[in-house]
Amino acid sequence: MHCTRPRIFGTASPGAVRIAAALAACAALLAAAPAAQAQQKPIRFGAIYIMSGSAAAYGQFAKQGIELAADEINKKGGILGRQVEFALEDGQGKVDVAIQAARKLVFQGGADALMGLDSSGVANGLTPIVPELRKPFVITHAASPDVTGKLCNAYTYRVSVNVNQNMGAAAQIAAESGAKRWTTIGPDYAFGHQSWEYFGKYLKQRKPDVELMQEVAFPRFGAEDFVPFINSVMQSKPDGVLISLWGGDLVNFVRQAKNLGFFEQKYQVLLTLGAAVEVLSALGEQMPQGVWAGTRYWFAAHDNPINNAFVQSYLDRFGAPPSYNAEGAYAAMYLYKAAMEKAGSVDGAAVAKALAGMSFDAPNGRLTIRAGDHQAVVGPTWGKLGAFDSKYKVRMLDAMRTFKGEDVTPTVAETGCKL
Amino acid sequence: MQGILAALLNSLEIGLLLFVIAVGLNIVFGVLNVINFAHGGLYMLGAYFTYTVVAYLGLPFWPALVLAPLAVAVIAVALERLVLRQVYGRDVSDSLLVTFALLLVIDDAVRVAWGSGIHVVAPPPSLRGTVDLFGITYPVYSFFVMGAALVAMLALWLFFVRTRAGRIVRAAAIDRRMAEGIGIDVPRVITGVFALGAWMAGAAGVVAAPIRAIAPGMGDRVIIDAFIVVVIGGLGSFPGTLLGALVLGLIYGFGGRYLPQINLVLPYLGMALVLLLRPRGLMGKGAA
Repeated sequence: MHCTRPRIFGTASPGAVRIAAALAACAALLAAAPAAQAQQKPIRFGAIYIMSGSAAAYGQFAKQGIELAADEINKKGGILGRQVEFALEDGQGKVDVAIQAARKLVFQGGADALMGLDSSGVANGLTPIVPELRKPFVITHAASPDVTGKLCNAYTYRVSVNVNQNMGAAAQIAAESGAKRWTTIGPDYAFGHQSWEYFGKYLKQRKPDVELMQEVAFPRFGAEDFVPFINSVMQSKPDGVLISLWGGDLVNFVRQAKNLGFFEQKYQVLLTLGAAVEVLSALGEQMPQGVWAGTRYWFAAHDNPINNAFVQSYLDRFGAPPSYNAEGAYAAMYLYKAAMEKAGSVDGAAVAKALAGMSFDAPNGRLTIRAGDHQAVVGPTWGKLGAFDSKYKVRMLDAMRTFKGEDVTPTVAETGCKL
Repeated sequence: MQGILAALLNSLEIGLLLFVIAVGLNIVFGVLNVINFAHGGLYMLGAYFTYTVVAYLGLPFWPALVLAPLAVAVIAVALERLVLRQVYGRDVSDSLLVTFALLLVIDDAVRVAWGSGIHVVAPPPSLRGTVDLFGITYPVYSFFVMGAALVAMLALWLFFVRTRAGRIVRAAAIDRRMAEGIGIDVPRVITGVFALGAWMAGAAGVVAAPIRAIAPGMGDRVIIDAFIVVVIGGLGSFPGTLLGALVLGLIYGFGGRYLPQINLVLPYLGMALVLLLRPRGLMGKGAA
């Protein structure tokens, strides 16, 4: 409910009646609020996710993750005795829109801390302006290595798996598969190209004799028709294909590729973000079985009290298991809670300082935000797409393995981050 | 050789589907003189209605081919009567703004009604699988897409050339006042044409539903492609739309395969080239 003071009191027009009714409702609301809350302003979180367009499902999951965390935190007394609330902006996957949203959240919305971002391209564009906002920004999805690499700064952090970490794991699986000639299909922007670059780098380190093919396919992000690209990859006869498409692109790709018999060939297929609940629940049993799929977080991979409670309450409340994006957003809220309590305030600079080197318990285990580059030391989960689960309504992962953060995270020196 | 054949088939499939979408856009422009941004939203509604018919009503795919475009056309009639009618005779930019607003409204309405998630519809069982043709493997459903587009094209052409109603529409498009003078109820013709254009967009949405992800914003991208088709082919030209759609289909089909480094700019490059050499499009009316 939005309670504003009306500027004009007229005669008893319908407008005035409406205003009076609104005032009465506001008064009732204020009276009902506990005294403690009325005295202290809630802590405001500002979140930026893609809420419209073909990737809107990702934003929706993130929003639900924040909602769940905020309610849990509020029920247990909030942070520093203050309740928390959040404002959500649609970044639309566009840099200019996201930058404007960040400024709006801080300068107009009075946000104490920021979080979000679904696209690497957007993260690369937004990161350099974060210091001017003087509020910490925890990235929960965008995987660009640069934001905790050459673009790193004092206010930007990431709680989720980045391209480096996921490709380190993918290269390990690729090396073990024995496949020699590798190619890729990825979106034609930073993320697709960097996925291929780092995959190639780490795979060469493990197996110098692999061949990274010249024939690669980078359809534009949001391309509707992938058949030309699928055809050309199939005809180039690779041993392995790394697919970094995500969201609606991945759904489109999988269906068109399946039609063409792409998944029945002899080569290895690695879907770097294939185990996203957003995609798995969309495709259901149409998701190909036996294909390697990675994810930044898999709800069934972590048997600890925090994760078990998180998965159960998420499922009860939203009717789906939490995706990696939901988990990233949920974890970021608890990361902020820990940092604000450590700092003893919500002051932007103080919280940012507390975040560096911070360890906290997330659903995917105890995570540390490295002081050197502000990246969480965390690894992805990979597995082979297995049987369809009727409770979760997604294909589950067989031969599941969760990589240790230490094993797949490059050293700070390698990231190029200088803080 | 096989590669070229596969690319050719891809181009045809993409091009013919684009034709069905763009021709509706072009008919509406020809008669209403309105560049209808909301056309992409109507295409999206066609796909979402298909999903509703299959997933919620539990019906097979085929009834959707009749029901979904019809539902889209009904919505279009309401939009034309309530909203578009207010901007006729005003500057083209007014109708552009209004239809763009409608696209945003449809986008958000879809999110409210169906949620943010991505949905899929399976192709009908009779159209699943692949066929081998001259050594290449191609999905059966793609041939259905091409066939359906050709049928739609033929039906539309016969309508405009052979039927009385079609002639009335053409008359209203050529000279509105004269048409009124000989007793044609032009406002009704306009509503009918808008509904027909919407029907085409909806039908394209149904045909596309089993091969594309049904998600918010799916109409935004398609409308851009449809505009490129219309610009290349020529505003208001029926054969031009076919030519434009096939050219764009070839750009996507071959560009993605043989020029992957520049496949992003190719459609715009093609459009810019046509605008430079033939500003009214390849088959646009009047001299450049």
